[in-house]
Amino acid sequence: MSENLGRTHLYDWHKSHGDVIPFAGWEMPVRYTDIREEHMAVRKSVGIFDTTHMFRFLISGPQAPDLLQTVTTNSISKLGMNEGHYSTCLNEKAGIHDDLMIYRIGEQKYIWITNASNGPKIKAHLAAHAKQFKVSVEDKSRDIVMIAVQGPQALTLLSKMAGEDLRKLARFSCNPIRFAGRDCYLCRTGYTGEEGGEILLLDTPFSEAGKKKAISFWEEILRQGKDLDVKPCGLGARDSTRLEAGFVLYGHELNEEITPLEARISYAVKFKVEPHYIGYDALLKQKQEGVTRTRIGLLMIDKGVPREQYPIMLGNQQIGAVTSGGMSPVLDCGIALALVKADAVKEGDTVEVDIKGRLRKARVTGWPFYNPDEYGENRTH
Amino acid sequence: MSKGTSKATKVIDGLYYTKEHEWARVEGDLVVVGITDYAQHALHEITFVEIMQSGTTLNAGEECGLVESMKASSDVFSPVSGQIVEVNTSLEDSPETVNEDPYGKGWMYKIRPSNLKADLKKLMDSKAYASFVASKT
Repeated sequence: MSENLGRTHLYDWHKSHGDVIPFAGWEMPVRYTDIREEHMAVRKSVGIFDTTHMFRFLISGPQAPDLLQTVTTNSISKLGMNEGHYSTCLNEKAGIHDDLMIYRIGEQKYIWITNASNGPKIKAHLAAHAKQFKVSVEDKSRDIVMIAVQGPQALTLLSKMAGEDLRKLARFSCNPIRFAGRDCYLCRTGYTGEEGGEILLLDTPFSEAGKKKAISFWEEILRQGKDLDVKPCGLGARDSTRLEAGFVLYGHELNEEITPLEARISYAVKFKVEPHYIGYDALLKQKQEGVTRTRIGLLMIDKGVPREQYPIMLGNQQIGAVTSGGMSPVLDCGIALALVKADAVKEGDTVEVDIKGRLRKARVTGWPFYNPDEYGENRTH
Repeated sequence: MSKGTSKATKVIDGLYYTKEHEWARVEGDLVVVGITDYAQHALHEITFVEIMQSGTTLNAGEECGLVESMKASSDVFSPVSGQIVEVNTSLEDSPETVNEDPYGKGWMYKIRPSNLKADLKKLMDSKAYASFVASKT
């Protein structure tokens, strides 16, 4: 732990309340109490996550849309004011540099939010391509604190803090809101499958005053959410909730060799765009020819917990490998995402996961893994 | 220290310990094996335990099972050589017993040792293990 690990504004709070571990170059809380308890708070009431370790770039100028459409796959021209979308940034071969969110916060002003592990790579990539356009790219990662508020009670809590009903805000929107008297943006997005949002706490430099401001804001959320049983949640619950929702994670389901079509995140990709983004030709070719491998979900039938790299067997043949796996607190069984040969299996089929030499049966499924009538943002009761 | 690891690690006298945080207790002509309090603390929230079947022959230091927690998977290594004679099947349905009682009801398997004297010499006693753990925290 001696290398230079990053710390967020909230580090001191995490250190005194949770188990802090190294993650993607950062010292972050893996849990405060129990991962399952925090996970279920998100599924049943509301949980908050410090996601300040992610990178935030402010991209502005008359040619901001041109830069963005050059380096990302979703359709920038379709983004209205205060709207956001999920996108990817590709290499020439249509492998993924990163997956990201873009929010339009002004006529010529966008926020790009990218994974912590890919921040420096994306920063260099943006800087290199920004040269050809009238655009400015600013790294705002150290001046904005980011807190995700997720769960069926998240909007109740956020509305209370804002003093106005935020339920009316569309999913994927990004609006300036004052929470407890502080200037913020509320992005109506998240990474847990649940209703809620991600708060950008503005004007919060990485100074003693900024850290103090961030901690008092974090504690204010906990205080105002007390009657809703709000829980601070660590990276453990962040990973288990995203896995249960079937969301991809860079370095697992996505990397420089995997395309968005193989990862089955085609909603992040558009082909009617101008200019054509980097990786467009390779991706279009793959769309026309079809993929040779694809992402699936796995639900364990036998006991056992699938983990990354475990082989997936069909008969005597290995058809792929697990990319992320773990225990689902909602289902109380092992679940996984895996990359397998295209057309080898379909939903409902049974395969075997090689768990350290022991073959254990699993069912091929889609996602989310939980019953969407019971959990998640589209729950019916 | 943080909340999750604030309690002092429990080490029991009379047991033998490995550097991988397994314990071994000699009971008559058998040896009972489990993982230590330090290990269960570090793993936290154990969700699944799987030990090789009864009848399996093992060398000391050999992998003989795995423990799954919410965060990670880790291997169990046998402290002594011999043949597994009994596996604690109650852990199948309540793996959290290992968190609650690592030296008692959370035992993992019993083994009939084949080279006990020599194997025990390579293990730590409670005093040595306590300082080994202290050096890690």
